[in-house]
Amino acid sequence: MYNAIISTGKVVAAVSGGCLAITSVIMLLFYIKNYIDMHGKELGILKALGYSNFKIAKHFWVFGLSVFVGCALGYALAFLYLPSFYELQNAEHLFPEIKVQFHPFLAFLLVGVPAMSFAALAVIYACFRLKQPVFDLLKEKHEYKAEISKKETKDIPFLKELTRSTVRGRKSLVFFIAFSAFCFSDMVQMSMSMKDLSSEAMAIMILTIGLILSFVTLFLSLSSVVKGNMKTIAMMRVFGYKHSDYSKAILGGYRPFSYIGFVIGTVYQYALLKIMVTIVFADVGNVPEYNFDFKTCAITLVLFILAYEITMYVYSQRSKKLPIKSIMLE
Amino acid sequence: MIAVSDITKSYGAGENRNLVLKGISLQIADRDFTVILGASGSGKSTFLNVISGLERPDSGSVVYGTNDITKLSDSELTQFRKDNIGFIFQQYYLLPNMTVEKNVRMGADLAGNREYREIITAVGLEDKSKKYPSELSGGEQQRVSVARALAKKPKVLFLDEPTGALDEQTGRQVLDYICKLHKEYGFTIVMVTHNQNIAEMANTVVKMNSGKISEVFTNEKQKTAYEIGW
Repeated sequence: MYNAIISTGKVVAAVSGGCLAITSVIMLLFYIKNYIDMHGKELGILKALGYSNFKIAKHFWVFGLSVFVGCALGYALAFLYLPSFYELQNAEHLFPEIKVQFHPFLAFLLVGVPAMSFAALAVIYACFRLKQPVFDLLKEKHEYKAEISKKETKDIPFLKELTRSTVRGRKSLVFFIAFSAFCFSDMVQMSMSMKDLSSEAMAIMILTIGLILSFVTLFLSLSSVVKGNMKTIAMMRVFGYKHSDYSKAILGGYRPFSYIGFVIGTVYQYALLKIMVTIVFADVGNVPEYNFDFKTCAITLVLFILAYEITMYVYSQRSKKLPIKSIMLE
Repeated sequence: MIAVSDITKSYGAGENRNLVLKGISLQIADRDFTVILGASGSGKSTFLNVISGLERPDSGSVVYGTNDITKLSDSELTQFRKDNIGFIFQQYYLLPNMTVEKNVRMGADLAGNREYREIITAVGLEDKSKKYPSELSGGEQQRVSVARALAKKPKVLFLDEPTGALDEQTGRQVLDYICKLHKEYGFTIVMVTHNQNIAEMANTVVKMNSGKISEVFTNEKQKTAYEIGW
């Protein structure tokens, strides 16, 4: 049992910690790319004036600062919560009674190192993204390069083509929206299914991490979709397209990918728990048999549809409020 | 007939309030080619935005036939623009990730116009219909925006400095296309410009200065795009 609890802890830490670390890195790169894409003109002018790529990119170290604040806050909260968590996990007194102590080296590893790594990564990546001709930055050519497809398109209606080109133009967002659904599906189902296999505290932790990851990713992705299509939305409004037309065409294109993400998340969490029960708890007696939980899956799906559609509705309302004149004056 | 009565429009509030339109009244006849002429800051673009339903005035009315658009809700105004109005802007505002044909379909689909390719041919871009805006010159891009606006078969076409970003030769060419299409389709044109020479192409010229109309006159003979100075 002792080994099983240790292994469960390791699996949970690896899954949630790994997911969080990978998402944070991808989000950082995504945000920097978007920032450079959207501020091409200003950055192009700086380059035209003679600023080197590194001189501009080095200011991106500031992302490390936000990582530092986040990590420090997380570390402090974990430090405060750890005694109660340990007590909860050690209800059967399988582990020795210990007092939580502050370890400066551990704090440095969990706060200082990530902050410095993210600062360095931000500067290096910004430097890489800035390596393009000044003219391309000024003309914001990067936007089109990725979006233009030379594939022959059939004679399809404008709104359908808009949906396709929006999705095609920002493939990274397809990944993020699918990933957001994956996190929701995976973590919510896992937290509900593992209540018999682990403690309630562990399930709540998994659930919280999943929901935060899912919603942060979804909000950032949808904000990026609306921001990136502001001019298109403004022109469609000028021409007389209804709010439902452009929100459906621009935001609706991502819906199928979110459901694909949900399915992958469902399969992944089932496989992970099954492996954990079969391998990790192999030598432990009285472990309940784990089978796919259809009821949990159905509840999670309903919750997901509600959460996703409400978020989409909020963002479609946001696009309705975009001021036409100021967008066109940009 | 578009009847504009006592329009006022201001921006900002309190001490920063800037009165841009100071009680403008004007009538524009159907099928007329009206040019609104004025220097930068005269309020001509704001006036265009107000009479086309892009912005709401602080007071006054804008009546198309019997329909006062200042009284319409946002959704009614959207429907009104869909059914009646076409726009051409100085900066084109084409969708960069769509071909010429798809950009034109943006307008055509609103009106259920399946003959949109005729308009592409009419503006001389039939061989570039599969190109993307970034692969076109400024003049060609503006011709796409002309085709896009006309593909929705508007009753009134509003143009805000349509040649402002073009060189003389290309500017003349675009204006020539617009004039030819005006004669062929018979819509009303309201064009904003600071170029006095372009005003010689219009039936009616409305001069604006400091948010007011200073002069309205009719040209006895309209010049073509290749007859005017630049």
